[in-house]
Amino acid sequence: MEPILQVRNVEKTYDNGVKALKGVSFDVNPGEFLVVIGLSGSGKSTLLRCINHLHTPTGGEIHFKGKNITGAKGKDLKEVRKKVAMIFQHFNLVPRLSVLDNALNGALARTPTLASIFKQYSDEDREKALEYLDLVGIREKAFIRADQLSGGQQQRVAIARSLTQSPEILLADEPVASLDPATCHTVMDYLKKVNKELGITVVCNLHFLSLVRQYADRVIALKQGELVFNGSPDDITDEWFQTIYGEQAKEVHIN
Amino acid sequence: MSLLNSDASGMDSSVSQMEKKKVDVAFKSLVLDAVIFWFLALSVISMVGPETEGYIDLQYYSFLSLGLLVVGGALSYVLQAKASIKTLGQSVFAMPQFGDEQSQTAWYLSFSNWELALAFVFALKSGIAFTDFSLIEIFDANGIEGVKRILTGILTPDFHILPRAIEAVVQTIFIAFMATVLAVPIAFVLSFLCAKNIMSGNSFTFGIYTVLRLVTNITRSIEALVWAIVFTVWVGVGPFAGMLALFLHSVASLTKNFSELAEGISDGPVEGIKSTGAGPLQVVWFAVVPQIVLPYTAFAIYRWDINVRMATIIGLVGGGGIGDLLIEAQGQLRWGEVGTLVIVIAVVVWLMDAASAYLREAIK
Ligand SMILES: Nc1ncnc2c1ncn2[C@@H]1O[C@H](COP(=O)(O)OP(=O)(O)OP(=O)(O)O)[C@@H](O)[C@H]1O
Ligand SMILES: [Mg+2]
Repeated sequence: MEPILQVRNVEKTYDNGVKALKGVSFDVNPGEFLVVIGLSGSGKSTLLRCINHLHTPTGGEIHFKGKNITGAKGKDLKEVRKKVAMIFQHFNLVPRLSVLDNALNGALARTPTLASIFKQYSDEDREKALEYLDLVGIREKAFIRADQLSGGQQQRVAIARSLTQSPEILLADEPVASLDPATCHTVMDYLKKVNKELGITVVCNLHFLSLVRQYADRVIALKQGELVFNGSPDDITDEWFQTIYGEQAKEVHIN
Repeated sequence: MSLLNSDASGMDSSVSQMEKKKVDVAFKSLVLDAVIFWFLALSVISMVGPETEGYIDLQYYSFLSLGLLVVGGALSYVLQAKASIKTLGQSVFAMPQFGDEQSQTAWYLSFSNWELALAFVFALKSGIAFTDFSLIEIFDANGIEGVKRILTGILTPDFHILPRAIEAVVQTIFIAFMATVLAVPIAFVLSFLCAKNIMSGNSFTFGIYTVLRLVTNITRSIEALVWAIVFTVWVGVGPFAGMLALFLHSVASLTKNFSELAEGISDGPVEGIKSTGAGPLQVVWFAVVPQIVLPYTAFAIYRWDINVRMATIIGLVGGGGIGDLLIEAQGQLRWGEVGTLVIVIAVVVWLMDAASAYLREAIK
């Protein structure tokens, strides 16, 4: 099976000289739930941002479905972002817009600019947005302003927005890091549902190893911008754990 | 291996950055001390030096100043580095993160306090001299007589002029209104081009940013009163000139207010919309605009309020409105009419102020 995403020796050096990624390579298989772990500052967010092209890698290549998308611009960039959706730790919704409008923002890339400004989305897009709000169980809030929802609810709206894009990959940058343990499982369950029922490939940054074991098909680990582990969650032994997180680290469980 | 290397270079750069900051601080403190020493020396020289007739000799003083600044800087350096005395410059720019310890000496023994006190005393002395400060003038009997005459006039207002005053004040309100309404859309567009976070993407947009920023800053720093004089020459004396002057000044001021708001927006929504593949205009419309509509509106209302007050003043140089009447009545020493006009202006300004504050609170 051909990988849907190939990351080849990707490097990212920020303008301030910080080397966040130092040549990272891995493949993502279609339909997979891949989890990225690593200490704070190890480069997880940078990696996802490079894939979605919110940042441009300073070295290496990224291939999406066999096509080199590194440094895509203009139309190509739009295509990439359409197919490679992203959700964020702080949800990044537009606070003053309604839940439905936020979900509809996922259709912006295929709506002409002028039409979108006057909110002239196609009926199809409207239905899609509502359908996905339904999928993440938040349809009844469709006409409430996004900033009046709880964190977990906002993240579900963000998932709906990304689904409205009709993506093939969903990148999730610590989607549950600012949620309480209970809500955290709800959101992760929806991501799993998206992965299994819609067949969307998920690449997800996570902090807690207990979550990793529960949701990941495969795990990669970053340490100081380098890939140090690539395998099944069951293979993360205590030694591996200490390599990834450092000697002093102890595993914590959240239920 | 590569890991070790990069770590070492990381350390290096942070150390050299620290050094750079220290040099920067040392330079700033030298400059501040040099300026203070220059001022003190110049004050003393002008005190003990011979009285000069006519204008000052600019060339002489330029060279003198240059010399004094250099000497001042050198003195500061010697004090700081050789005598390890803490100067004012040093204590102003001191940085706790470099472990600059707080001095333990009593306040009257601290050199920097004496430096500050001396500078203040000499500044006060020069200030009194330059403003012709005089208690004798204030308590002069003739002067007090004159003020009494004017005040009684104003306090017994002549209400014959009331209809004209009200007509003129309505004109003033609409001068301000037109200036604001025309300025808002232009400032709206300009504010994005003058917002650093939006324009610092590449050198082309940054060039536009720099030029526009300069132009609006210059426009703003020229008083609306001066613009009014320019426009009375251009389009003739009257309300149109006043409106244009306020319009220009409002564009510059609102652009500054607006662009500061645009610089303060949160990146989250911008990233969120960008990540969906939306175009640049869609990003602005869906991620930036919703964050700024209400604060922009609040500023626009506030600007109208300010413009009403400024329109009153601008009338004084022929910009139309109630200021025109005021200068006319004052010129003909009809103090009763002045009284009426002052009351009308006060009431309108107060009403506008209250209304604009109320509106701004309501839309928060
Ligand atoms: N925009 C940026 N400009 C400069 N340096 C950055 C930028 N973003 C991240 N970095 C640096 O790059 C390194 C990797 O950061 P990144 O955010 O990718 O880590 P992370 O693994 O996501 O950490 P966290 O778990 O805290 O989110 C860090 O040293 C960080 O300081
Ligand atoms: Mg991160």
